[in-house]
Amino acid sequence: MNASLRVLLVPLALVAAGLLALLAFDATRAAVAAFLDGAFGGRNNFNLYSTLGRFSILLGLAMSVLVSFRAGLLNIGAEGQLVLGGLTAALVGVYLPAPPLVVALAALLAAMAVGAGWAVLAGLIERGANVPLLIGSLLLNYPASYIASYAVSHPFRDVNSGATQSFRIMGEASLPRFTGTILDYGILLIGGTALLVILLERTSVFGYRVRMQGYSYPFARASGYPTHKLYYRTLMISGAIAGMTGFVAVFGMNQRYIDGMLTAPLYAWTGIAAVLMAAIIPWATPLTAFFFAALATGAIGMERSVGIPREVGQIIQAVIVLYLSGVAGKMLSNLGGKGR
Amino acid sequence: MTVPDTETSPPAVCRLNGVSKAFGPTKALQDVSIEVREGEFLALIGENGAGKSTAMSILFGLLEPDEGGVEIMGRPRKMRSARDAIAAGLGMVHQHFMLYPDLTVLENIIVGQEDTGRSGRIALGEHRAAAQRILQEFDFSIDLDRKVADLPVDARQQVEIVKLLYRGASVVILDEPTAVLTPQESIALYKMLARLQAQGTSIVLITHKLDEVMDNADRILVLRRGRLVAERDAQATDKTELAELMVGSNIEIIAKRDATRPDVALSIRDLTVRRRQGKAALAEVSFDVRKGEIFGIAGVSGNGQKELVNALVGLEDAEGAVQLAGRDVLGLDVAARRALGLGYMAEDRMAMGLAQPATIAENLISGREGTTDFSSRGFLDKRRIRDFSRDLIARFDIRTPSERHRAAKLSGGNQQKVVVARELSARPAVLVIENPCWGVDVGAITFIHKQILELAEMGCAIVLVSSDLEELFALSDRVGVLCDGELTAIFERGELDAIAVGAAMSGQRKDTAA
Amino acid sequence: MFFDAALIESIPRLFTPVLLAAIGSALCDRANVFNIALEGMMLIGAFAAVVGTFYTGNALAGLGLAIVSGALSGLVFAYFGVTRGGDHIIVSIGFNVLAIGLTAFLLGRIFGVSGQFDDPAIVQLPRIHLGPVADIPLIGPFVSGQSILVWLAIFLVVAVTWLLKNHKYGLRLRAAGQNAAAMRTVGVSPERVKTAAVIACGVLCAMGGAQLSISNVTLFTEGMSAGRGWIALVIMMMCSARLPWILPTAILFGLVDAFGFRMQGLGLPQQLTESMPYVLAIVVLMLVFRKRTARYAR
Repeated sequence: MNASLRVLLVPLALVAAGLLALLAFDATRAAVAAFLDGAFGGRNNFNLYSTLGRFSILLGLAMSVLVSFRAGLLNIGAEGQLVLGGLTAALVGVYLPAPPLVVALAALLAAMAVGAGWAVLAGLIERGANVPLLIGSLLLNYPASYIASYAVSHPFRDVNSGATQSFRIMGEASLPRFTGTILDYGILLIGGTALLVILLERTSVFGYRVRMQGYSYPFARASGYPTHKLYYRTLMISGAIAGMTGFVAVFGMNQRYIDGMLTAPLYAWTGIAAVLMAAIIPWATPLTAFFFAALATGAIGMERSVGIPREVGQIIQAVIVLYLSGVAGKMLSNLGGKGR
Repeated sequence: MTVPDTETSPPAVCRLNGVSKAFGPTKALQDVSIEVREGEFLALIGENGAGKSTAMSILFGLLEPDEGGVEIMGRPRKMRSARDAIAAGLGMVHQHFMLYPDLTVLENIIVGQEDTGRSGRIALGEHRAAAQRILQEFDFSIDLDRKVADLPVDARQQVEIVKLLYRGASVVILDEPTAVLTPQESIALYKMLARLQAQGTSIVLITHKLDEVMDNADRILVLRRGRLVAERDAQATDKTELAELMVGSNIEIIAKRDATRPDVALSIRDLTVRRRQGKAALAEVSFDVRKGEIFGIAGVSGNGQKELVNALVGLEDAEGAVQLAGRDVLGLDVAARRALGLGYMAEDRMAMGLAQPATIAENLISGREGTTDFSSRGFLDKRRIRDFSRDLIARFDIRTPSERHRAAKLSGGNQQKVVVARELSARPAVLVIENPCWGVDVGAITFIHKQILELAEMGCAIVLVSSDLEELFALSDRVGVLCDGELTAIFERGELDAIAVGAAMSGQRKDTAA
Repeated sequence: MFFDAALIESIPRLFTPVLLAAIGSALCDRANVFNIALEGMMLIGAFAAVVGTFYTGNALAGLGLAIVSGALSGLVFAYFGVTRGGDHIIVSIGFNVLAIGLTAFLLGRIFGVSGQFDDPAIVQLPRIHLGPVADIPLIGPFVSGQSILVWLAIFLVVAVTWLLKNHKYGLRLRAAGQNAAAMRTVGVSPERVKTAAVIACGVLCAMGGAQLSISNVTLFTEGMSAGRGWIALVIMMMCSARLPWILPTAILFGLVDAFGFRMQGLGLPQQLTESMPYVLAIVVLMLVFRKRTARYAR
């Protein structure tokens, strides 16, 4: 556990030290101030809420990735599962003629089902035809994005607007916001899910088996776990959480599905980065997800105030992942045992 | 083979001089000096972890010593990589073959020594002629254009030796060379080495097989826990003395009692495992194991042992019949077979026997985590798991600070004790054991062997697969031999003999071999 | 006419980026480096090619800068994945994000735009016209008037095949991929061989990127590699890194791309035609791997 903690602390310390060092210079002090303001400040803490909003999406994806990685399954298709979940939620939200609560619930369940289905599809392709999950799940991201993009640019496009986006979902069905903020209740849904994942991983027989199978697949087989069932169940849970996150993004922040809204910010890849930085430890994952959320909104603040392109956030994130590739790789290669 | 007279002993070709080496807190070598004399057959013996391989890796430039250094022909020489060692005339056959399976034999030989024209194109013709000369000189019949992956094990070892000779080695170091060979193949190897020695090459043999040392070596050095503890002339010592020097105390000789009872616990009929290509990897194997009996399985690895074990445990589909307690279990999965009293100790501790990153407690309950012993309504019972783990840690003498320690941090012997503790505590009716003592130190080997024997005496039927004939002979009531997926012979305890078993391992039926 | 000269003419320029990256990927595979950062390496190459061309007005200089950027990409990957011994999958994930962030960042910093950069100063790579050959029906448009990179890519298939089989470094590359420890015992550093393979792969991917940005079009768009790096990887995997198979497979994918564009012209939505290569990749992978034991599985 100590080694894992170190994994977590080193990049945090580096970023903190970097910010402090930058504070020493007048020229960069403004940038740091803009970064911190962008992440946590703003009028009425507007930026803090927007960080929290981004955090809820990242946390959802990180948890989705975590469930797969813990089980030793290299499912990197969270993006596709997220996109299709979001699209499904939007379609239900726009077209289902039902009371608001029913619409919201139906949208949530449909989004989860579609996300789970897309993940299981990658699993079927691996189990049925030996195509590695890593490759299959990744390739499935592209058709998913194209399907969603097609849906909101042709059959389900909001013809009154110039943008490629769906119609607004039923207003009363959208997720309520905390009073006086732009933050919606989606963070509770995802936070609760994260808590459930963290607790069950530790205390349940299912969580134990998933963890052990992630450490070593041959061990799981020799111990007589239902490996087949575990494999598909884990993928389903992973995909369902990604789908749920898509629902939150659509029923919360945007109230509609906008083409590229879930892919352009690299949510899925950031979720993977958060899980790797947390060394695949469940309780540490929310912390790293929050870190990356703050990094992104802080970078947007910097762009606004001092004109440094916001992609700086992505670059820092990438460099962290590169530096962690050794340590996090050891955690990952324990999973499933390196078969290559 | 002549024993060199110590007073006129030939000069040292190479020498380790006061070498020390530590890996973290472990002192692998402490102030060790070893010299290799011209044309001698030197044996370096010691148990696992005594420092034999570390010493030779330093001599060969693969590891850098913390203190001390290497001398070649009396002059200090810095060994930066294996290239320096090769240039100095050293050659090493590693325990795990250092070959490239998908490359041809010739390509394997020349990697790192390629002669090229101006274009960088390898001069294959010249390389081929040179390699052919060595093959002829030593009567090796290896096709230079075959892929190494297609060669049998003894031929692969010959490729390793040709690699050294191709580089003009005058000192040949062999690390446990017979671990993968049948007794007959071992004899052939030692004949070849004797020929090399006769030509003036020095041979260094790293091993723990004392019979081979006594038969072949001129001079013997004993390493124990990183220190050189003794030097003996082969003529002036015996196996008992060497064994005691290796272990550092009197070895406890475990007594085998016949505990076989009349009722059959495990019955195997025409067990067959087919590969995709249609060839049977295990062909119509039949035998019975009675309660309290230890049935050993011998064979060169890769002759169907893995398939037999997998088919018994439920990891691989098979045809035929396996009866456990009178029930046919072939259609059942691993969990169902475990529930019927089948236990399994896998040889591969790294991935199969243990989940390395998991804690000892997590490893100890695996396979029974869903039973009421350790959980209720789908949730783990932390306290019972802790108490159970602490009890096993004490009973099986697992050296660890706590049950929450990661399995990966234990020594090989202690890791294996975790496996033994888990499988024995389940009180199996039938236990399948594969190479229980791979990478385990001598002290733990004795402990594990005793546990296995005790279990048999309590009435458990045991199938013991091992590549170590000594271990099989010490523990088994009967030994079956697998060759090419077929059970070629079954020996009663009284008939056990290395040559006869070796013949069966290479495919001779028992009746014609005897 | 559906199967006309324009369609045939478009096939080589569509398969070339993928082919170049697939050759690089094959080198990495032979050296046992699981490099799935082809996508990022192509993107960086595409960007560098535009930068070089814009500032010099010379597309060959742009190609040169792309090659340098590719070598640097390879060096970065090798530093983390080989020297520091990082997990190749994680290094790749990090590298791909780095490429997206870095190109977008530099696009803002250097050109002050976001999304896309387009300028008349960006000229096209030279093309090779074959005179009368161009008039031969079907074959003419296929072989004439193509960019120099098309021919370079095809030449490289032959050259790299020869190199792997006969050359000292080809042998060492194959050996390092099979058993790195064994190389150390004969005094050759497998790390150096692997680093060289990754750098070569970076250069090849960057050339593929240059074909995208200063030959097929003359502009840079964020994320313009658009999954071609993954298609290249899939092609390499389907062919088990055997170059003689990679060429026709890459051509097949070029053909599918070309058909896609043509179908768009016939009114099929762009999103459907653009997802065709990925669906094809999955289906073909399933057919090829069905009988194979999972070599790339973890």
